[in-house]
Parts: sequence; C-alpha cells; structure tokens
Amino acid sequence: MRTLLSDAPRASLTAFYWAFILYLLLPLTLMMAMSFKDANFVAFPIGEWTFDWYVKVMQDKQFLEACLYSIMIAAATTLAATTLGVWIAMLIVAEGIRGQVIIFALACLPAVVPGMISAISLRIFISTIDMPTGTAAIILGHTVHAVPFVVVMALTRLRSMPGNLVDAARDLGADSVVAFFRVTLPYLGPALLGGMIFCVLLSIDDFVRTFFLGGYRPTLPMLIFAKVQGGMSPEINAMATLVLVVTAAVGLYAEFLTRRARTR
Amino acid sequence: MEPVVQFDNVNKSYGKHVAVDNLNLSIEGGKFVTLLGPSGCGKSTSLRMLGGFETPTSGRILLSGKDVTKVPPNKRNVNIVFQDYALFPHMSVAKNIAFGLELKGLDNQAIHRRVSELLELVQLQDYASRLPAELSGGQRQRVALMRALAPDPDVLLLDEPLSALDAKLRQQMQIELKAIQEKTGKTFMFVTHDQEEALTMSDTIVVMNKGRIEQMGDPHTLYGRPGSVFVANFIGETNLLRSTVVGTEGDVAALSWNGITITANPGGLSPRVGEYLYVVLRPEAIHCSAAEPTSGNRIKGKIRQRVFKGNHTSLMVEVGAGTLLNTLVHPSDVAQLNGEDIWVGWNPETATVIPDRHAHN
Repeated sequence: MRTLLSDAPRASLTAFYWAFILYLLLPLTLMMAMSFKDANFVAFPIGEWTFDWYVKVMQDKQFLEACLYSIMIAAATTLAATTLGVWIAMLIVAEGIRGQVIIFALACLPAVVPGMISAISLRIFISTIDMPTGTAAIILGHTVHAVPFVVVMALTRLRSMPGNLVDAARDLGADSVVAFFRVTLPYLGPALLGGMIFCVLLSIDDFVRTFFLGGYRPTLPMLIFAKVQGGMSPEINAMATLVLVVTAAVGLYAEFLTRRARTR
Repeated sequence: MEPVVQFDNVNKSYGKHVAVDNLNLSIEGGKFVTLLGPSGCGKSTSLRMLGGFETPTSGRILLSGKDVTKVPPNKRNVNIVFQDYALFPHMSVAKNIAFGLELKGLDNQAIHRRVSELLELVQLQDYASRLPAELSGGQRQRVALMRALAPDPDVLLLDEPLSALDAKLRQQMQIELKAIQEKTGKTFMFVTHDQEEALTMSDTIVVMNKGRIEQMGDPHTLYGRPGSVFVANFIGETNLLRSTVVGTEGDVAALSWNGITITANPGGLSPRVGEYLYVVLRPEAIHCSAAEPTSGNRIKGKIRQRVFKGNHTSLMVEVGAGTLLNTLVHPSDVAQLNGEDIWVGWNPETATVIPDRHAHN
C-alpha cells in the first residue's frame, strides 16, 4: 500500500535531482542568454536582444585562428593518442607478455594525476630535454593525458572480442598485420571512434597543460582566458556558447556511438 | 595412396600436463574422420596443432607429404570451422566467405564466382549481403563452413561446430555436413565429444582418451567390436560383464559372471582359466522373452524398471542378487512381457570380449 510516508524518500530524491539539474544548467543558461544582449557589458536586465555578438565573433580573426589552432592540436593529439592507446591495449590483452597489470596501471596513471602536477612535470621534462614550448610540447602534453581514455575504451572492446576471430583470419591466410587491419581494427571501430572524439574534446578543453607548455599562439581556451582578463563582454559569451554547443553535440554523439558499440 | 594428414610421434605437453601423448595417425584423402573423446582427451589440441595454432612439443605433422610442423597457420592449406564459428561480425556473408579467397590473390571475378557457387551449395544465395548477426544459428554454421571451404583446403578441420545448436538442428546439420563432404570430396577432420555425431557422419572414428588413441575404425566396428572398456562405455549404451574364465574350448570360452555361467567367443584372445575378462553386451543384443530361449546364453530374471523411450522400451532386468542387465525391447514385444519374471538371452557371437587390463591376478 502506498502512503505518503513511503513516498517521501522518493519525492525528496526527485526534488534533489531537479535541484541538481538546475544547479548544473543555470550558469550555462545565463551565459548563453547574455550572448544575445545588445549592450557592451554583462549584466541584468538584458533589455534589447541581438545576434550582433555572434556576427562579431565569426569575423574575429583571433578567434578563428585560435579555433583552427585548437583543432589542429586536437587532430594531432587524437592521432598520436589513438595509435599509442590501441597499441598499449593490444599489449595488455596479448598472450605471453609479462607485467600486463603494470602496463595497464602505468597507462592509466596520467588520467588520475592532477592536471596541475602533470602540467608542471611535463614543463620540467621538456626543458630538461631542451624541447621548446609551443605546438609540439602541447601535443605531447595532451597526448599523455588522452592515452588512458583510449586504452580503457579499446581494452573494453578487445576483451569482448571472441578470441578466435584473429585465429580465423590467420587460418584463412592472413598474416598478423593483415589480421590486425582487417579484423581487429574494424572490430574496435565504434569504440575507437568514441575514444577519438573523447580525445578531441579533452584536447580542445585543456587549459592547464596548454598554459604551461604553450608558446605565443593561443589555443581557444587561452584566448578566452586572455579576453576575460580584459573584462567581460557579451562577445566572450557568444564565443563560449558556440564552443559549448559544438562540443556538447560532438560529445553526445560520441556517447551514442560507444553505447551502440557496447550493446552490439 | 599417400595420406593427407600424418601425425608422426606427436607429443604436446603444457608444463607437467601431457595433452597429446605420442600420437601416430594417418588419414586418407576424401574421408570423414572424427576425433572422438571426452573433454581433455587431446582431440582439440591435435586439431589445433594441425591448424598451426599449437606447436608440438616433439614429433612431426605432415600435410600432403610435406612437413608443416613449424609452418604458421596462414601458410598451411588447412582451414578450421570454429566452435563458435568466429565469423567476422563487421563483414557481410559474402565478404566473410571471400576473405580467404582475397588473401589467396584471386581476381574479383573468380572470387565472386566461387562465393556464389558456395552460397548456392548451402542455399544461402539470398543472404549474401546480410551481416552474421542477422542470421540464425544454423545459417551462421553454414557460412562458417563455406568460408573455411572457400580456399579449397587439403583438409577441413571442424572443432565441435554443432555443439551450439539445439538438438533438432544438430541432427539436420549432421546429415547436411555429411552430404557436403560427399559432394565436395574433401577430407573432413571433425572433433567432437558426442558419440552420436561421430557414429552418424564418420567414415573413420578415432577414439581418444588421455592424449592417446584408444581405438580407430569405422563406426560399425567401434560400436560392434569395441577394443577396450573405455570405448565400449563411451560409444553407445552397454552392459559390461566382468567375468572369470572357467574353461575354454576352441572358439568358446565358458565364463562365470557373478556366479552365472555364460559362454562367449574370446576372439583373438587366448584366455587362461582364472583370468578376468569383460564381456561387452549391447542392450539391443539381448532378447527378452516370457518363455525360455532354446539356444545361446539364457538367464532367468525379474523386471525391476521399465523406461518408455518412444521407439523402444528400456528394461532393467535383475538376473542375480543386485546384478542388473540393461535391455532394449521393441514396442511390439513389450506387450507380452507384462509379468515380472522373464528370460533374457543372447547369441554369444554378438558379444565382444575385452581383456581386463587392470587385473594382474
């Protein structure tokens, strides 16, 4: 029998849930709303609405260049992290290799080390090997951070792979390289795509590592940070809104892909 | 004729565990050969060694006369149908079958022709563009079979491919497999623990136990004249009568089985008086009747259990204190056996005599 008393925990749980959602979305909503404000400063009330800030952002050469730079770094990071990550995952599931647990632990370490520590140690590292700060150093830093995510995603998929798929390919005349590219890699496909999109998002989003390892060319977060220091303007809100919409769409798509890969 | 497959003193051990113990086996071309045995008897290991996925600890494996002991799987002209089929999930049926052909370097036209020919053989023409996930178990089985047959291997290896199917489909596939083997004239090497599968399909059955060959022969011989207690027990239902030799005269040995005197043909054995022997008696070789039989072995007994099995009835007949015989009675004969007391009898020639290896009295 349902009573008000037995419903109370459920009702409070629901209330907390909605409070949490509000807490999550309110700042974002505010930021987005301000990007449509027809004035030079960020404050209530909004009064006049406009798309001018978006037009301005799209014509902002600095913004476009930073976008391009971020995308370039994200692409390079993704390529490097995916290659390394799949390779490490293959090592971990391979037979006859010792210390697979240690390999796995080491591969996952960068994901749990605080960004700050990671950034400082990377900075010390590159100056020790006389590597200049800038694009290459940023890519290195982002890759180190992204590899664990690829490893975990590839590993989950590899572990669900029937062991004799590769045997079957070998049996039908494929050497191990052909078997990898024609059977293992396509099998990893969906999980890998999800992992790659995750790499892209991690890289585009990264601020701390980029801050420590970057040169004079700003990435998108660096640019926005610099602009915020010059004072808030609805232009920044428009920029942030654009970034939010694009990354959220890509992120949701990645989640959809990995979900489908898991159920297939 | 040169054998297609030859195992020459092949051993395989994992640490202290001996999986295959000095295997010597040669298999003629065009035959359906089954390796039969319980799990862990070394049959699958033998198959994997022939496929190239395991390397023998010692010994040689010859394929069409060539030593392939150390040749990797992709360079051997054998193909495996795996237990769970191992179809490539991201490739269509046609692509799966074409895989081995592409790697052989055939041109597109030849591949296309071969794939349609094989699909036609198993009536899956309409499924060429489907993914394996969209097929039924039996269809997947056929695709796996065709994929393995496509590159025209010297031997087709089948690793318990029917075990994932339900009983009805399994029987159907047994007949289909045998038909395909006959149609293609390929050498099939089939591994199973299911004696019924082995009996249904094989030209030759190799019974393995503890890494060794127990007995090898055609299904009739193995069933009718098992060479060891293990084979007698593993293939079909059986009554094993452990008896002492009382006397011999030519082809007839008088035996004492739990105090009951019976006769048997010891075959090639020349047993001494006092020696222990096993008499292998199949349930269907025993004749149950209300009246005493006029010839052969005959014992008076009591029916202790009747089990109706549809096309026959299984009777457990007590012939001595606590000594039971498992017998098989046809439906038409059951009616006259309504009483508890009956006679069981058999022709001594239908029973097989096996030496008791473990008795050193």
